[in-house]
Order: sequence, then C-alpha cells, then structure tokens
Amino acid sequence: MKIKANYKKYVIPVIAILVLVLLIALPYFAERSDSRYTIVLFKTILMFTILTLSWALFSGPTGYTSLATAAFYGVGLYTAGVLGRVLPLPVMVLCGGLASFLLAVIIGGITLRLRGIYFAIFTLSSVELIKHVLHWYEITIAGGRGRPVVRVPDTTVFYVLLGILVLLIITSYLLKRSKYGLALSSIGSCEEAAAHIGVNVVTLKVFTFALSSFFMGLAGAIMATGMVYIDCFIAFDLNYSFFPTLMAIFGGMGNIVGPIIGAVVFTYLREILITEFPYVYMFIFGTVMILTIIYLPNGLIGLAESIRRKLLGGKHADTTCRRVN
Amino acid sequence: MKKSWLLLFLIAFLSIALVVGCAQGDKEGEKAGPDDEKPAADKDKIVVGAARSISGPLAIQDETCFGPVYRMWFDEVNARGGIYVEEYGKKLPVEPLIYDDTSDMNTMLNLLNKLMVEDKVDLLLAPISTAFLKAAAQVTNDQGYLLIGAEGGAKELEPLMAEMPYFFSLLNYATQQVQPLVDMLAENNVKNAAIIYIEDQHGLEYKNDLVPALQAAGIEIVFDKAIPMGIKDVTSILEEAKSKNVQALLCCAYPDENFLVMGQCMEVDYNPDVILFGPGACLEIFVSDIFGPAAEGVMGWGAWNEKSSPELADLAKRLTEHQKGVRNIDWWGQAIYYSGLQVLEQAIEKAGTLDNAVLKDVIAGATKDDPFKTVVGDLWFENGGVPAECYPGQVGQWQSGIFEVVAPSDKATADPIIPKPAWPAPNQ
Amino acid sequence: MISFINILLNGLLLGGIYAITAVGLSLQYGVARILNIAHGEFIMFSAFITWMLHTTLGINPLLCLAVAGPLMFVLGYLIQKFLYKTLKDKTPSPAAFEGSSMLLAFGLLFVIQNIAVFIWGNNIEGYTFMAYSVYLGDIRLSANRLVILVLAVLICALFYLFLTRTRPGKAIRAASQDPEAAGLMGVEINRMLALCFALGALMAGFAGVLISLAYQLQTTMGMQYTIIAIIVVVLGGLGSIPGSLIGGFLLGIFGSIVSGIEPGLTMAAYYLLFMVLLLVKPSGIFGR
Repeated sequence: MKIKANYKKYVIPVIAILVLVLLIALPYFAERSDSRYTIVLFKTILMFTILTLSWALFSGPTGYTSLATAAFYGVGLYTAGVLGRVLPLPVMVLCGGLASFLLAVIIGGITLRLRGIYFAIFTLSSVELIKHVLHWYEITIAGGRGRPVVRVPDTTVFYVLLGILVLLIITSYLLKRSKYGLALSSIGSCEEAAAHIGVNVVTLKVFTFALSSFFMGLAGAIMATGMVYIDCFIAFDLNYSFFPTLMAIFGGMGNIVGPIIGAVVFTYLREILITEFPYVYMFIFGTVMILTIIYLPNGLIGLAESIRRKLLGGKHADTTCRRVN
Repeated sequence: MKKSWLLLFLIAFLSIALVVGCAQGDKEGEKAGPDDEKPAADKDKIVVGAARSISGPLAIQDETCFGPVYRMWFDEVNARGGIYVEEYGKKLPVEPLIYDDTSDMNTMLNLLNKLMVEDKVDLLLAPISTAFLKAAAQVTNDQGYLLIGAEGGAKELEPLMAEMPYFFSLLNYATQQVQPLVDMLAENNVKNAAIIYIEDQHGLEYKNDLVPALQAAGIEIVFDKAIPMGIKDVTSILEEAKSKNVQALLCCAYPDENFLVMGQCMEVDYNPDVILFGPGACLEIFVSDIFGPAAEGVMGWGAWNEKSSPELADLAKRLTEHQKGVRNIDWWGQAIYYSGLQVLEQAIEKAGTLDNAVLKDVIAGATKDDPFKTVVGDLWFENGGVPAECYPGQVGQWQSGIFEVVAPSDKATADPIIPKPAWPAPNQ
Repeated sequence: MISFINILLNGLLLGGIYAITAVGLSLQYGVARILNIAHGEFIMFSAFITWMLHTTLGINPLLCLAVAGPLMFVLGYLIQKFLYKTLKDKTPSPAAFEGSSMLLAFGLLFVIQNIAVFIWGNNIEGYTFMAYSVYLGDIRLSANRLVILVLAVLICALFYLFLTRTRPGKAIRAASQDPEAAGLMGVEINRMLALCFALGALMAGFAGVLISLAYQLQTTMGMQYTIIAIIVVVLGGLGSIPGSLIGGFLLGIFGSIVSGIEPGLTMAAYYLLFMVLLLVKPSGIFGR
C-alpha cells in the first residue's frame, strides 16, 4: 500500500516533465522529418491550452464564469499590432500581458457586485464594447481598419507559448496549494462565509482575475506575430470567449489536468473536422459536444476518474471537486 | 520506490518510441503524398488547395461569389480530361483540397500552412475577404506559392504589390470604380450626393475615393456617415437624406447592411434619383428573391451581364446549369474570378510545369500585346493588378431584370436610367 | 420636435423586435435555468421556414406564425425531454447544470446551424413585405415594422396572461419561484420544465417570423439575436415578461437616438447602456 501511495505522488510530475521534454524536442524532430506543420498545429493547441487553463485559474475555483477571455486575448493581440514595430519581442509580449492585466483590474473592480449570469453577461458585453469602440476609433479617427504585425518564425512563437504555459502551470499549481487557493474555493462555495472568516474577498478576486488575464494577454501578444495582419473583428472574436470555457467544461474543471486535456482534445478534434469534413464540421462538432456533456457530465477527466476507480476497485473516495451553489 | 523508477523508465521508453515513431510516420506520409520531387511518371493529378470560409459569417461569399466558379471550373477541367502539363507529357486532372477556416484568421493561416507545408499542394486558391487576402498573400509569397486573388481587393494592398511577386490581385475596387461612376453622375446632371459607408476598410476606401472625385466633378456632398456592422435601423440617416433632398444615395456597405438600407428606403418612402449599393446589388438574388420589381433602377458595383459578350452569356448559362438551374450569379466578380482560373490554366499549359516560380513569371510576363484569352476578353497584369480596361464594366444598374453595365460608357450595355423609377406601389 | 417624435417612434418599432426576441430566452433562463445560447438559432430556423413557405408556396408570412411557432414548440419540447432532462438528472448540482447546459446549447447551436445550411445554404435570403410608409397625422411610419410592433406586443400580452391567469402558467411560475415546494404541491416539475423550454422555443419561433418580415436572413445570423436577447433579458430582469418588453423598447429607443447622432457608435452604445445599467441595478429593471 505504501509503495502505491508513494509512486502515485510522482506519476503526474514525471509525466509532465516528459511531455515538456517531448515538446521542447518537437521542433527539432519536426524540422528533420519535414513536417513543420506540426509546429503550427501545436501553436494553436498551446494557445488554447493557455487560454483554457488561465480561464480555469479564476473561474474554476470561484465559480464566476468569465466570458471576457476574448477581450484579454484581443488586447494582447492588439498590443502586438500597436507596439510590435517599436519594441523587442519579449518586451512587447510582456506589454501585452500587462495591458490585459490592467484591463482585468478595471473590469474586475467594477463588477464586484455582479454574480452568476450577470457577471458572465457583463464580461461578454465588455468584449463587444471594446471591439466596437476600438473599431470605430480605427475607422473614423485613425483612418484604417487594421494593423500589420511584425512576423516572427513559428518555432520562436512555439517556444514562447511553451514558456508561458509552463509558467502558467507552475502558477496554477502554487496558487492551488497556497492558502489563497483555498480562500478562492471558499469564495466559490459561499462568498459571504469566506468574507466572514477573514478572506479579503475583493482583493483576492480582482487579483486572481487579473493574473489569469495576464496569461491570456501574453498568449495574444505572441500569437499576433503569426498573423501578419489584425483588426478588431479578428482580435475580439467571441469564439475566443466561448471556446476556452467550453474546453474547460469539456475537460473537467476539478484540477489542472482537466482543462489541459479538454483544450488539447477539443482543438485537435476541431482541426481534424475542418480539414477532413469541412462541410459537416459543425454538425459533427456539435453532436460530439452534446454527447460529451450528457454522457460525461464531469468532463473527460471525470471519465478518467471513474475508470480509474473501477480499476482500483472503488477503494478511494470520490475526490473530484464539486461546486455547490 | 523501485516500482516508481521502473514506471518512470517505462514511460520514458514509451514516449521516445512514440516520438521516433511519429517522425518515421511523418516521413512515410510524406513519401506517399503529392510531391514535386517525385519522378514525373508518378504524377497523376494536380492538387489545388484552399482554405475557404465554409462556416461562419464569411460563408455567404463562398456560396455566392467565388465558390460556384471554382467548383464549376474543377468539373469543367476534369470533363476536358485535365490540364496538359508538358513536364509530365500528359493531361492531369485537378483535385480540390478544400478546408474550412470557420471565418477565423488564425485558422485560415494555419490551414494555408498545412496546405503548403504538409499537403504540398500544387496550386492554391485565394481565401475570402480583403483582410484574409492581405495576410494570406504575404504568407504564400514567402513560401513561393502563387496566389491569384478572389473576393477582396483593396487600395491597402497596392503599396505591397511590389514586394509580392507571387500575388496577383483580381477583383476591381474603388481605384477603378469610383471615377466611372462619378463621370456618369456628372453627365446626368446629378447635383448632390450622400455617402453611407460601412465601418470597415471596404467602406472607408470607397468613401475616401468618392469624396475627392465628387468634389472635383462639382457634385455637392451632403453628408458622409459611417454605419457599424450589425446595425438594425438606419431610418434617422435616411430621414435626413430625404429632408435635404439628396439626389444620389451611395451606400458602400456589405450585403447585410445594404439590404437593410434598401428596405428602409422603401419603408420611409425615400426615392432618390440614383441609389447605389456596394456589394449586394450585384447578386442575382437581389432581384430574383429579395426585392423583385423594387430593384428596378438600383445601381451597384460590378458589372457584367449576358449582353456584354457571347463568352459571358455562355458563362452565365454554364454557371446556372452547374448549380442545377438555380441562377445564383454574382454580376460583379464571377466573370473575373473565372478569368483568374483560366489564367492559371493557360499559364500551366504555356509554362509546361507546375513550378509556381515559373508560373508567376509567365503570368507577370503577359502584356497587352500578348495577353491571356479569357471570358472577359484579353487579360494581363500590371504591377500585380488587372488594368481597368480589362474589366467588363464598373457600375451596373438593374433594368427589367438584367444587371446592365452603365459605366464606363465604352463598356456599357445600356444607358443609365436617371432618375430611377419610383418604388412599386404597395399591393399587399 | 417632429424629428424627436420620429426618433422615439422608430425606437419603439425597433424595440418591438428586440422584445419578442428576448421573451423566450427570459422564460428559459428564468425558470429552467438554461442559458440557451442556441436561442438565436431557433429564431433563424423559424425565419427561414417562413421565408421558404412565403417564396415557394406564396403563403402570407403572418399565417406562418401558426406554422413556424408550433414547429419550434415541438422541437423545443423534444430537446428538453431528450437532452436537457437527461443532463439535469446526471449533473450533481444546479451550478454545474448552468455550466453544462450552456455547453449543450452550444452544441445545439452548431448542429442546428449546420442543418440549416444543409437545407437552405449559406446565401443571404429575404423578401419584401409591406415595405411602405403609413401616416399617423404628420408622422411617417414603416408599415411592416408597425405590424411587427403590434404583433410583438400582442404576443407578449397574451403570453403574460397565459402565465398569470391559467393553471399551467401558474404552475410554471410556481416552479420558477420554488421548485421543491411546487413539487410538493403536486406540480410535475419535469413536465413544467419541458413546457417552459418549449414555450421559449415557441416565442423564438414567433420572433423568427416577425424578423423575416423586416430583415434579410442568413444561416449565421442566430448569434447576433442571441446576444441582443441576452442583453434585453438582463436589462428587463430575468423571467419577467413585462421586463423584456420594456427592456426591448429601452434598447430600441436608445439605439435610435444614438444612430441619429453618431451612427458609427450605435452598437457600442448598446453595450455601454447595458453595462452601466447592470452596474447600477444588477437585477434589471423589473428584477426581483
């Protein structure tokens, strides 16, 4: 029994490090085997993984469904469009993250009173508001629709994204382990009670929200460099709000692995469908979504959990996190 | 503890095996796929790839504009047995490889990459919309892939053309269209005009060209107003135009907004002498499905029709037949899109190879004296764009169910009707 | 002065459309706790059915209210019965249900839109119906929008009466206020939820018919109506029928005023108004 418990402790970190090593080596193999497209595909997968995981960083424990992901991602993209020509790449990416961080502080600050559906819709509207105001500014005042972006090789983009992801995973892990992680979950369970036991609800909420947006902004700024040209309708596309949310639910939100698996499977599935079955892509995609949510209510990770429990003969209690209202 | 190390080794071994396997697998896949380096005898088809918006907001253009044209072209070429490529000494059929970019820029660029790097297609077709085209042109140019434009064209692209020898712009836009329109308005004693433009590159460019051209012609500009995409009510703008007796209403928006403006013009009983709609009025459904008799006298950018030439009459007939009798025709771009595909086909036959670097030289090498012979007549490129004289028309007007070319005058198939007739009387 | 009254009336006419789009969603979210992202797809589907019946068979679009509406009702009923109910039984908590029902609705959105593309293609479609002016004294109004407004108000009023005066209506309201107590009092909660979702779809069906009278149709148009509906619902207060009506009018009039001043900012103004109102009064104008 003891051995079992012991090696269990190592499984996840070991797998994580192995996957990381593989990913670091990927461009090398891809170049050699002349399948450079793999890097392009992994760029998108990494991008969605970052968006999903950083979404889950805030929305997972607190239960606040934020639909502002597209706003933060878009601000990152736009920062690259505005500053890409004057700043070196790392500074520009950092600026993208900071711009999103600031925006999140503002949005988080003014939405303190809103909960549940109201918070979701407010954040959704903020995407549209930014999109339309910025677009109006670009057309009537700046006199052009979009902005060209300085291009960066795919491999560089890939490594920067990988770096952001590693940073994000470490942050998520540390946050979860810290007392703040516990405090965040307590907000999710009962915000009033959390405030009563001495959790600084306001600061914690706004800071975590901004922290999660920081990563979205970073991802946006670096992704822009692969796009040649951006405008408001490309940057602030509502799909970038919905997809990360769906991916997190799809994967399961209880831990760090769920959103990652969700994002990877979801993105890959979509890739297959739009290339192999372009004319029925939406139909199949929608059906898969419906079936998944009905038959795997706790996401893919929930499925893995139940299989594992079956294999181990149900010795463990159900530890998947369940949010209560 | 021992067990855990064992497990670690096992996982490490498995993953290394997986990577090596993947790399091998990719290599094998590459050998099986279409490739330029393969021996000539093996080549049995020309793979033509494209990332098109089959779903999402841009999908309407794949359905009505370039989509029907390239689908028909594939069938026609294959019915002829393919395109003769000297390099391989035989006719090769064309095979489409179409992906859905879901109207998303990042996805479109990824898919283009996939087509070029992984699928190694022989030729590429353009994606939808000016913004996408602008991004795609630079990416394909870097990879040495020829790209002939389709839906979309913009002044914005003009300064970039010199750096992009592999990109050829096809569709006519503000630069070629505004002057013939203004000339026609001036000839018909139009004294004032109002511009409604969409908050987008498209609307902005037309407005920026229209304003100086109208001023130079002595036509007063009553107002120019931007409208956002997705607007649901423009009554207040139309009321203003009506109260100021605007003679020519020039609406440079997308079909969605154009149709809204058209419908609301009828609703507020505002019937200017000239009414023009950017893309939208040039679609056959404008008259056949949506507005019927009310379309009479409405102008739009374009233009070609069955009276332009026997070749174009035949093209319209074939397009209708290919869509099972549905006359789903875009009287602005479809003639020139088809010409673009003919250019591609003739360039391959002329060059005798599928090497994009050679093809681009052959296309750029055509001149007025040695042009491509296409459905719109002689066609050649100057600085990567089509010269104005090659287009079958710039402005069209619906007259008895035909989208007549009314400007420029040397291409006109009918005289413009100015003022346009009143809206049909309500009979419902 | 005339122009101000005109702006106000145009706003009302537009508001009628916004209101009818929102009523169904309000009911679905207010009672069944389903944020139906696919709401706009039901509207789109019904609008296309109307267009098809009108252009191929020449049926008066107003008569299509009696065809497209019930069709959506049946569709909604089946979806609730086979999908949402199963989902609800399997989800552990109400909060989790809100999240997963949204995912389900997203799946529906994709499926319905793709089916519509199979049937009608991606083309832009439409027809003209009563596109002329009528005069009320000095004031000019667009005839088809007036018809839409009158019908929208009428439908909302009938629906409100149904909810407040009839037995099933009262049961629905009871179920929304306290499902457990209502269950104990002999209200069949599951049937009520199915009925509720179906009624929401019915309203979307009516909205689709009315929208097809004045606007062009595209299979991708659903999302924009969903977002407008969400805004109106939250503006007016979740689950409140009069709230949706007032919210719709408010948004319409506001949009009309802004488009008279700076049309380019109309869409931005919608969101700004909405966000400010949400901050001032989070539960909406008629919220509990």
